[in-house]
Amino acid sequence: MAHFYESSIITTKDGLQCQVYGNEHPFDSILVKPKYIPTDKVQSDALQYRFISGRKMNRLNMWADKEKLKQYLNTFKIKYPQYVLKSPVHTDNRLFFSIPIDDIERIYYPRKGFSELISMPEGSLDDHLQLVHKFAKFLLQSGLRIKDLGITYSTLMGHYNPAVSDINIVVYGKENFWKLMNYLDTAQHELLRWKTKEEWVSFHKRRNRYNTFSEEDFYFLMNRKKSEGFFDGRLFVIFAAEKEEETWFKWGEEKYTPLGQVTVEGTVTDNFSSIVRPGCYDIINVTTIDGSVPGEITKVAFYSRDYCMMAYPGEKIQTCGVLERVDRKDGSSYYRVVVGYFDAYMDERREKEYIKVLL
Amino acid sequence: MHFYESVLVDTIDGIQCKVYANSHPDGFVIVKPKYVPESLLNFTGLKKRFLFSKCMTRFNLFNAKEIVEENLTRLKNTFPYYFYTCPRHKNWFLVVPTDKIAKTYDTRAGLKELMKVPVTDLDSYLKATRGFIELILQSGVHIDNIGITHSTLLGNYTLGKSDIDVLVFGKDNGWKVLHFLETAQHTSLRWKTEEDWAKYYRERVVSTQYSEKEYVYNMVHKKDDGFFDGNVFSVFCVEEPGETWYDWNEEHEPLGTAKIRGTVGNAYNSIVRPGYYDLQSSEIVEGHNSVPIKRIVTWSRPFVLQAREGELVEACGLLEKVTPKIGTAYYQIVIGYFDTYITERGKKEYLKVVVE
Repeated sequence: MAHFYESSIITTKDGLQCQVYGNEHPFDSILVKPKYIPTDKVQSDALQYRFISGRKMNRLNMWADKEKLKQYLNTFKIKYPQYVLKSPVHTDNRLFFSIPIDDIERIYYPRKGFSELISMPEGSLDDHLQLVHKFAKFLLQSGLRIKDLGITYSTLMGHYNPAVSDINIVVYGKENFWKLMNYLDTAQHELLRWKTKEEWVSFHKRRNRYNTFSEEDFYFLMNRKKSEGFFDGRLFVIFAAEKEEETWFKWGEEKYTPLGQVTVEGTVTDNFSSIVRPGCYDIINVTTIDGSVPGEITKVAFYSRDYCMMAYPGEKIQTCGVLERVDRKDGSSYYRVVVGYFDAYMDERREKEYIKVLL
Repeated sequence: MHFYESVLVDTIDGIQCKVYANSHPDGFVIVKPKYVPESLLNFTGLKKRFLFSKCMTRFNLFNAKEIVEENLTRLKNTFPYYFYTCPRHKNWFLVVPTDKIAKTYDTRAGLKELMKVPVTDLDSYLKATRGFIELILQSGVHIDNIGITHSTLLGNYTLGKSDIDVLVFGKDNGWKVLHFLETAQHTSLRWKTEEDWAKYYRERVVSTQYSEKEYVYNMVHKKDDGFFDGNVFSVFCVEEPGETWYDWNEEHEPLGTAKIRGTVGNAYNSIVRPGYYDLQSSEIVEGHNSVPIKRIVTWSRPFVLQAREGELVEACGLLEKVTPKIGTAYYQIVIGYFDTYITERGKKEYLKVVVE
């Protein structure tokens, strides 16, 4: 219904800091993931505490102790009912967070922040910002323009810790993102290095990745991603945000009916939209491994960035997730598997859901 | 509403200001602009910072007179309402009209929130801040009377560089904390050495009217600035609504620049901004015929806590005849009005303890 760029930051009038979650949104609110939540109404020792903007905040981590996370999110829903979306296109148990327009205090725009930062004299920047500045100049050698890039999270908000904070870059436009990935595939810079096998393996041990992939397979799949690496020893992560004219679905034009959990395999025909959130792979020749599938599945959608750019056309993937029948406004329908809805983190689906390439 | 000194306010124009006094003329808050978005105004000779997702200019009056004059002119041309010409002072002040304030930051609530965060979840700067707060709580001052401000509160501090800025509410509390710090022992506590003060003198145009040596002598006994765990800290004492001394209804008649000497009778109000030193005895050394000077008023933080009771001081500033609504007129010397940043008087002004 409305386009709003993923990875922008929204602060609410009552002090939440949220990251915009997706590029398509309902008409009167913006889908988000609450990132930092004040502790005066709801708090949990299972979540990290931070002192940000003069408040004690919890950092929401969907991989925290599951029972405590569930308790926390249930209390959140009671204390902040205005931030829990009653989606008219999903069933009641589907969890989305959204900020009604009237509750927004301020929006931090990554693109605007980037253009401000890049225009500043390097001498006026601290070490962290100088590095971001240098990295940005390197990325601009890909042929992207200043207006194609953004900075987000702590760099944009200004509460970074130079010792530990990542550099988070947003690329506007899917074509631009793929162009940058192609550039980084061969680009050389004395400060640029990619994650080693050991680093990816250490990453593999977190979340549910170890359930899904062997170390070797995980390294193979991750090593071909050029969206994460190190610049002068600092981790950088590059995200894609869809332009309004290129979103792969429009909020409100489809209705989703869950039909249970399934495991299926299929061959990827298109991964162009696998770089965004939510992202998707178009698939064909689908076979069912587990569960009941009443029709042809043509798409695998995901809300977790872990599955971005995982598979390429021609590759066979296996996925476990929620089977949905998608009814379009024009009366047509199709079936898809969805991985990583927020509510998945509150039950056994958190460990069960996955997308993997069959190597 | 009472606006405490050293509290931050955001204006509806997107300018961040620091409140610069504890009492204010009706409808205004005395401030110093701190960060101004470059997109709003282009200044000259000022540093820039990337803050709040924007390129901001760090507005600074500690600069060459011509630069300050130019920048104030640019500010005034775009935002004339940040200037208030007070008919009772026959002088101007930087202000924010109260209806232009978008947000005020709560320093007390911020501190309480910080103290609730488990130490293990704090970075080294916030750990040091918390450690320093815990130390000054040993003075007996209640946590309700302490706040944090500036980057410590907002979280836009730079590790290893930013000061820890602490507010103490109430003058009695302020003195209690400073007296406590005079003798406090803590492994992380270190005071500015003579060399630290000399460096400060060299980096800021404090006054050309006294030497580095005199400056160091005057500053080294102050206990409102020091180091905790390697971080510079500053303690700002602010007045509660019931104890403000400044009366905006008094008539001020400027009589020109004068140099005086006198003995401090009472320094109780020298802990705040604006602050003052009551004089027991005084003489005008230069600039005006002999009149008794009741007090020396300072708007400049470097002259806060400069002298103690019984000390002989020398000061140069604006001589004023002050006529209160009730009571008899008196004379005072004022140091650090905003106009001193763009007039010759600024270079002449000082306050120092006379070292015989």
